[in-house]
Amino acid sequence: MLTAAAVCPAPPLLARELTGADPVVPELRQACLDAATELVRSAPDVVAVVGAGEQTREFGPHVRLDLAAYAPALAHGGLHSRGLDRPSGVTGTDEPLPLSLGLGRMLLEQAGYGGALALHSVHDRASAADCAALGTHLAEAAARVALLVMADGSARRSLKAPGYLDERSAPFDAEVTGAIRDGDMPALLALDAGLARELMATGRPAWQALAGALSGPPPAVVIRYCDDPFGVAYLVASLSPQHDAVPTSGRERG
Amino acid sequence: MGIVNRTPDSFYRPAVTWDEAEAMDRVHQVIAAGADIVDVGGIPAAPGAEVDAAEEIRRTVGFISAIRAGYPEILISADTWRHETGRAACEAGADLLNDSWGGADPQLADVAAEFGAGLVCSHVGPQQPRTRPFRVAYADVMADVLDQVQRLARRALAAGVQRDRIVIDAAHDFGKNTWHSLEITRRLDEMTQTGYPVLVSLSNKDFVGETLNLPPEQRLPGTLAATAICAWHGARIFRVHQVAESRQVIDMVGAIRGERPPARAVRGLA
Repeated sequence: MLTAAAVCPAPPLLARELTGADPVVPELRQACLDAATELVRSAPDVVAVVGAGEQTREFGPHVRLDLAAYAPALAHGGLHSRGLDRPSGVTGTDEPLPLSLGLGRMLLEQAGYGGALALHSVHDRASAADCAALGTHLAEAAARVALLVMADGSARRSLKAPGYLDERSAPFDAEVTGAIRDGDMPALLALDAGLARELMATGRPAWQALAGALSGPPPAVVIRYCDDPFGVAYLVASLSPQHDAVPTSGRERG
Repeated sequence: MGIVNRTPDSFYRPAVTWDEAEAMDRVHQVIAAGADIVDVGGIPAAPGAEVDAAEEIRRTVGFISAIRAGYPEILISADTWRHETGRAACEAGADLLNDSWGGADPQLADVAAEFGAGLVCSHVGPQQPRTRPFRVAYADVMADVLDQVQRLARRALAAGVQRDRIVIDAAHDFGKNTWHSLEITRRLDEMTQTGYPVLVSLSNKDFVGETLNLPPEQRLPGTLAATAICAWHGARIFRVHQVAESRQVIDMVGAIRGERPPARAVRGLA
C-alpha cells in the first residue's frame, strides 16, 4: 500500500556541493526537502525511489551517487577547508548510482530517513505499461510503501536551455503539471514517449511508474515548486493517496 | 590565435565583425596586437538558427582569401567541423582546420591530409555540434579527454595528416560543466605530456563567468588567469578575443618558465 508519494526533479545542481559558493536554487532544494520530509512522515516500511537510468534495474543499498563525476574538485578534498559542505555522496564505488536515484537518496537522508530503501531506475525506452507495472510492483513491495519519483520535465524551454528552445515544451510540461496537480494518472500514462525524448523530458518513465503505483481515487496533491529557472522544467509535488473507505486491515498485505 | 567571427550571433560581442570591412579591421588589429594565427569562424557554438555548409562557406571563405592576399605569411585557421567548409577554406589559403566538435565529420581529416593543413582534435564528450551540455558526468574527465583526443589524432594520422600538424584541444565548456573545465585547466599538463601541441580556447567562456559570477564583457581577468595556468602547463596555442592582454600573459609565463628572456632587464644589474 502506498502511504505517500512525492515528485522531485533530479538536476545535478540539487546537490548543494555542485553549485559552488552560491546556493543558486535554495527554494528548489527546500521544496524537495519538504516533499521528502512529508514522505518520511508517512511512516513507511520502505521508501521506493524511482528515476531515469541507463537500464531498468534495481540497485543495492550500498551503491552511492558519485558527485565527483560532476565536480572532480570534490574528490581532491581541497574544497572542504574552504567551509563548503562536505560532499555527502562522494565515494569510490565502481558502479555509481544513477543521478536520479542518488539525488533521491540524498533528499531522504537530508529528511532524516535511515530506513529501508528500494532503488529502481527505469530506461527511457520502457513502455508506459512496463513503467506502470514497475510502479505497481514497487507499491506492493511492503505493507507501507512511500514512493519518491525523481523526474524532470523538458530541457528545451528557452533559447538558453540545455536543449535550446522547442515550442512544444511548454504545452507538454503544462500537461504533466496539470495531470499531477489533478491526480490524473491516466493522463500521465498517455504521455507520448517519443515526444518526451525529443523534448529531453527525462522524467516520462518515472511519472508513468507513479501512475502505476497510485491506483484508486485521485490523490490529494500539493504543488511545492513549479518553475524553469534554467530552461528545464522542475516540478515538486506531494501526493497523498485517498484510500477507499474499507477497513485498513483488509487492504494491507502480509 | 585571434578570433574573428563572421557571425551575427556569437556570445561575445555579437555581430561586431559581421560586416566584412569591420571584420578585416579586426584582422589588422589582432595581427598588430601580436597574433600569429587568425581564426575565422562562421557558426556560433551555441544552438540557434541553422547555418548550412553553403552559408558557412559564403560567410568565411571569401574572407579567408582576402586575409591571405593581405597577409601572405600569417597562419590562417578555419573554425569549422565540416569537410565541405574545410576544403573550400584550404583552397582559399587556410593552414589549419580548427574542429571544435570532436571530429563530428570524419572527412575533415581527409581534407587536412590532402592539403597538408593542420587539424585540431578536440574533446566534446558525448556532445553533438551546436548543442549544450546536459548533466554530463565523467568518472575522470581528463582521462576521457586524453582518450578522445588521442583517438582522433590516431585517426588523423591514419588519414594522412602530418604528425607535426596535429593539435589537441580539451575544449573548455564543450561537453563539460564548469567543474570539468576547471579540472582540465588544473591538469592540462597531462595533455602537454602527450607530445602533441595543445590548443586552449578559454576566452570569456562560461566556466570563467560561472566561477567569478560575471557576464561575458567582464571575464578578461578570469580568462587571463586561466591562460596563465595553461601556459604554465605548456599549452602552445591560445584562441583569444583580447590578443594584446593574452600575449602579455603568455610572454610573462614563458619568462617565468625560462623559455624566453625578459624584454629588458636592468634592475640591480647596472
